[in-house]
Amino acid sequence: MAAQVAASRGFGLGRPGWRAKREVVRTVFLARIKIITRYKGAILMEALLPIVFAAMPVLLGITVAAQQGGGADPGDLFCAKTKINNLCTTNFKLYMLLGAATFTVVSLMLWLIGYWVRREQETGTLESLYLAPVRRIWVLAGVTSYAFLRAMIAFVIAIALGSLLFQVNPFNSGMGLAIVFLAIGFLPLWGLAFMFGAFIMKIKEADSVIQVLQWILAFLMGVFYPITLLPGYMQAVAGTFPPTVMTDGVRASILNISFIYQSAYGSLAVLCAMALVVPLLGYQVFEVTERRLRRKEGVGHY
Amino acid sequence: MSKKKILEFSRYPIAFVALFVQIFLIIAMFLYASLAFTPQGSDPTAGRQVGAQIVYGFVIGLFLSFTLWDIGFSIREEQTRGTLESLYLSPASKFASLLARVFAILIWVGALAVFAILFVGAVVGGLPLQNAGLALVVLVFSVSGFLGIAFIFAGVTIKLKETAQFLVSFLQFFFMIFSAQFFPFSALRQASPLIVDGVSRWLPVSYSVDVFRSVLIGQTPELGPSMEVELLIVVLFGILSPIVGYWTYNRLERGARTAGTLGEY
Amino acid sequence: MDAIIRVENLSKTFHTKERKKGEKKKKRVVQALKDVNLDVFVGENFGLLGPNGAGKTTLIKCLTTLLLPTSGTAWVNGFNIEEQEDSVRASLGCMLMGERGLYWKLTGRENLDYFGALYHVPRDVRAKRIDFLIDLLKLEEFAHRTVETFSSGQKMLLAFAKALINDAPILFFDEPTVTMDVPTARELRRIVRALNKEEGKTIVYTTHLMHEAEELCDRVAIIDRGEIIALGTPNALKASLVREDIVKMEGILPASVVGKIRSIPGVREVTVQAAPDGRASLAVMCENSRHLLPRIIEAATGNGASIEYIKPQDVTLEDVFITRTGRSLAVDTREVVKEGAGGGTGRG
Repeated sequence: MAAQVAASRGFGLGRPGWRAKREVVRTVFLARIKIITRYKGAILMEALLPIVFAAMPVLLGITVAAQQGGGADPGDLFCAKTKINNLCTTNFKLYMLLGAATFTVVSLMLWLIGYWVRREQETGTLESLYLAPVRRIWVLAGVTSYAFLRAMIAFVIAIALGSLLFQVNPFNSGMGLAIVFLAIGFLPLWGLAFMFGAFIMKIKEADSVIQVLQWILAFLMGVFYPITLLPGYMQAVAGTFPPTVMTDGVRASILNISFIYQSAYGSLAVLCAMALVVPLLGYQVFEVTERRLRRKEGVGHY
Repeated sequence: MSKKKILEFSRYPIAFVALFVQIFLIIAMFLYASLAFTPQGSDPTAGRQVGAQIVYGFVIGLFLSFTLWDIGFSIREEQTRGTLESLYLSPASKFASLLARVFAILIWVGALAVFAILFVGAVVGGLPLQNAGLALVVLVFSVSGFLGIAFIFAGVTIKLKETAQFLVSFLQFFFMIFSAQFFPFSALRQASPLIVDGVSRWLPVSYSVDVFRSVLIGQTPELGPSMEVELLIVVLFGILSPIVGYWTYNRLERGARTAGTLGEY
Repeated sequence: MDAIIRVENLSKTFHTKERKKGEKKKKRVVQALKDVNLDVFVGENFGLLGPNGAGKTTLIKCLTTLLLPTSGTAWVNGFNIEEQEDSVRASLGCMLMGERGLYWKLTGRENLDYFGALYHVPRDVRAKRIDFLIDLLKLEEFAHRTVETFSSGQKMLLAFAKALINDAPILFFDEPTVTMDVPTARELRRIVRALNKEEGKTIVYTTHLMHEAEELCDRVAIIDRGEIIALGTPNALKASLVREDIVKMEGILPASVVGKIRSIPGVREVTVQAAPDGRASLAVMCENSRHLLPRIIEAATGNGASIEYIKPQDVTLEDVFITRTGRSLAVDTREVVKEGAGGGTGRG
């Protein structure tokens, strides 16, 4: 038999309308911004990292060209080796920079969204969050907005600084299409981040596994090389991966090289399908894992 | 304390396996990156040379990275857990405490380094491996030198607190580029001679990378005037760095104790 | 009275793994709650007492929807804890994890604003509510600083303020005064009492400190090994205990006093210790010192005694616990301290 009395719920709204939900998203977003700005150096590091990542294969390419290419131009060697459908680029520096910058976006989204739950667990605020009547989806919307902003800031700064450093120019007619790939690519990334987060919640030794997952991502995305260099079965796996399609789309748009699914429309269609399926799947996996965890040991247990 | 560290590691088998997988993936990425520039039908010897440059520099980078993280950043972890003050209240020597952290880890890093070398060797069809004994001596002095850097970093961590995490990431990548861990200094010089002459030459870590790599490959080192001079720099680095590092750590830690910020995080 | 919280046959089982030195990891089943039934009435201050590992926190986590029960169910404010989680949470204000439930890089005020938004408190109401709480709990001096700069006691105060942000009808406090200094703890208890008596909040309060439970709670449930072993008002629980008390008396006590006191019904034994200076010390063993004390004093003073010191040893809720379980409240449930059952702490 139910408890006999229902008292009023104080200041909290009985049925929160869209304004209350928007307020949650806004408050969470602003809180995260305030928190990160109080960590000195964090945002700068994120913007510099892609440049460092890109510099390494660029310098490696110069080395290989000198030692194995008989002193040929590294750009020509790169173009010859990576030609698909008679399309290739000699601008290997921009190729590496775009790969590294996109990987930073992917990595940040996974860390900031997927690891968000784990971080809240570690700091003890997850239980406080779960005690509130707010739907998780609105808190996650706030976290996602924040992650998106941080990722875009890192991407833009990395491209701007990297372009100056490597003396390349990414701004051409393909930039618009590249932005479309980035924008659509965020949606399946969001879903992947939830699957990531669900996995993190289950396994308590999160840090080392996250590092590995990150590198698996980088490997399958082809951050420093086209995935056509990988063995056939790996190419098949990599091609089903939303970050791979996104990275390939951004690069192919700007550098005017072949798309992974033969054309821009083909790749966009695949990415759109991923954008529809992966977020729903990801959130479902997250909810199921979360519920199991609450039944088993509670969410605060870390 | 080493036993504690080894025990901690053995209780996290996923972490242990993850490390090996991580090394495998990082090296695989760089190998594929180099493959993207390798013309068809190129000389396999040159391929082995490139592989050797990648992996031998990577080995030095591994030892540096783990030393920095495990000594320096573990101080930060003790701070946030609240056990740093307890550690300081105990009669155990702080020097032993710092060293013990890295001793256990060096065993794992050694295993990772061997794995990396074997993996790359398998992919490129064998690696040049000359003067292994001398290379090991270089490695020992290099690691000793890295300890000094790590001690300084540990002291800085007590002061900087959470910013230390970003500092250690920055230092890792700084050394990756400016100490040319994955490519020869000639490539860096081609990009900018100023970087090599203005920055790389002034970093002792650069000489560790250069000598270790050159000794194993059997080539002339790139930075200094001769192998003997570079070896001397590495030896001096290995002897002086821990002394300077530990002294600096003590000064910074004393400052924190005077200011009462040892337990603050 | 109407129940605002109803718990029916609530059970919770955990499956863990443990490893002893030299042995393989073994699966272990821990039944944290066993068929718990209880009602909390509207406007009641309900105490939950028990040692570490007894199941208090597990019960609270189930009622606040942090943990899903293995079997059984409960209703909070008329809403089922599994089917109507959001409505349950909207009815609660909780201080469960002390200082750990705060964002250290946000200021005190920012923390309150953040959690107020999560409880759907409208922005204009929230701002006023935050000002009110900062004033009530005297947080002005540090509310503008980031939480990482707070002392432990200040963090606990902020966590308490956070629990009140949505002015919920039901409040859960899990050991709220731990790490607070005595004046602050006293002030907090005063506020808890005011919330209950003046504003009619229903409060579920867990504590290790018996005097807190006796001071604040209308009814107390003593929980041990996942079961409610005693439930009632503090006085009723103490009165239920039939045991021997001791009254200690010192002063100038003529020999005749001993016989007079012995003859009082309910007095079992009187032991005397004489001092060389003519003074004496008596230990009077009796059934209920609270009840017999006036007669003991009358018997002493009526026979020429000059009492310098008298101290009855009160029954406490700890005594109730010890009597029911054979263990002290301070002992971890996983360890059993072998003490004489029913002996209590009455013997001097």
